[in-house]
Amino acid sequence: MANEQIGNPVLVIPCSGIGKVHGLISREATYLVTDELAPGKTDTLCLALLVKGDPDAVADVRNHACITLDGCAKACAEKNVQMAGGRVAKTIQVAACFKNHRGAQPGDASALTDDGWTITREIAASATCDVARFFAGEEVNR
Amino acid sequence: MSAEITKVGIISCSGEAIPEGTISRLATRRVLELLRPGQTVTLCLPLFLAGNEAERNFAKTHPTITIDGCEKQCAKWGTEEHSGPVSGALIVSEILGTQPSACHRSSRGASQADREAVWAVAEQIAAAVDKVLAEATPPDAAAAGTGGGQCACSSPVPGGSITVKGAKVTIAGLPLIFEQCAERSIPADAGGSAALLEAVRIYHPIRPEEEADYRSALLAGYQNFRRGTKLT
Repeated sequence: MANEQIGNPVLVIPCSGIGKVHGLISREATYLVTDELAPGKTDTLCLALLVKGDPDAVADVRNHACITLDGCAKACAEKNVQMAGGRVAKTIQVAACFKNHRGAQPGDASALTDDGWTITREIAASATCDVARFFAGEEVNR
Repeated sequence: MSAEITKVGIISCSGEAIPEGTISRLATRRVLELLRPGQTVTLCLPLFLAGNEAERNFAKTHPTITIDGCEKQCAKWGTEEHSGPVSGALIVSEILGTQPSACHRSSRGASQADREAVWAVAEQIAAAVDKVLAEATPPDAAAAGTGGGQCACSSPVPGGSITVKGAKVTIAGLPLIFEQCAERSIPADAGGSAALLEAVRIYHPIRPEEEADYRSALLAGYQNFRRGTKLT
């Protein structure tokens, strides 16, 4: 990670996939990080704006460390950040986080259940730890 | 394509940075799940860049409506750039004006304002879906559904039934009344039951002692209507 990026807010970018609950979890986990767990140290941006190639969005992902939260293995958030020339400091896949929650009923693409919020909070906590490591100048394992 | 159209594609921007993005996402889901199930499909917008050829051809194989949170219209631009021209384009900020200023990005803070905003946009999407499907319907089929050469003004106003204290009651024009209530963003919960009662009693006599029963019956009927269930 470039040293000049340390101290800048980390961009947390979810895929917000609309077809499954995993996309909603990625979105809500992002808001937990940016609004509650690490406000001021993190921010988010519209992934669609990056897909559009908006110059400000492209500059943002190039000038800030990015944590991508993807719902599935298609990894739309990670790929789009990379295609825009951004540097992905950490990738998190929601589907992989379900391994510790076999049998959980997380809800659907419109609303989360208590199980869904539990998984969302775990993911948000993990991302927040990575943000803290990054601000401390420690290595963040992708 | 028109003769083979069975489903309309809806692409939401889902913009993470603004409440309008959350509204676009939830309104799209509402249409898929409740208002026009079976007639609509969706795809994640970022898949146009990250996905494969089949995903990029989405707008070529479906008439597609884009739902954007703001005037930047990322969904419309992305869809047309990577997939094909769209059949319709809605912008949440144009539909709702300043209303989203009271709305939230996360569903954790969702309020009545959020729910009403989602309903209002969802109904606009459903209307746009109907328009696309109507335009894609062959003229012969459309004419067959009009019931012949009858003048519209001599047709009886379609009624609808609700169940009041276990008895079926038919109210003239009920679907149109519910439609107007929806356009006025009257909520489909207890908070909207008084407004429903006032709207219906203009056309249908309701005695004071019947008000409570009518109130709950109308609310149940209105909720079904907002879910897209046809009134009997």
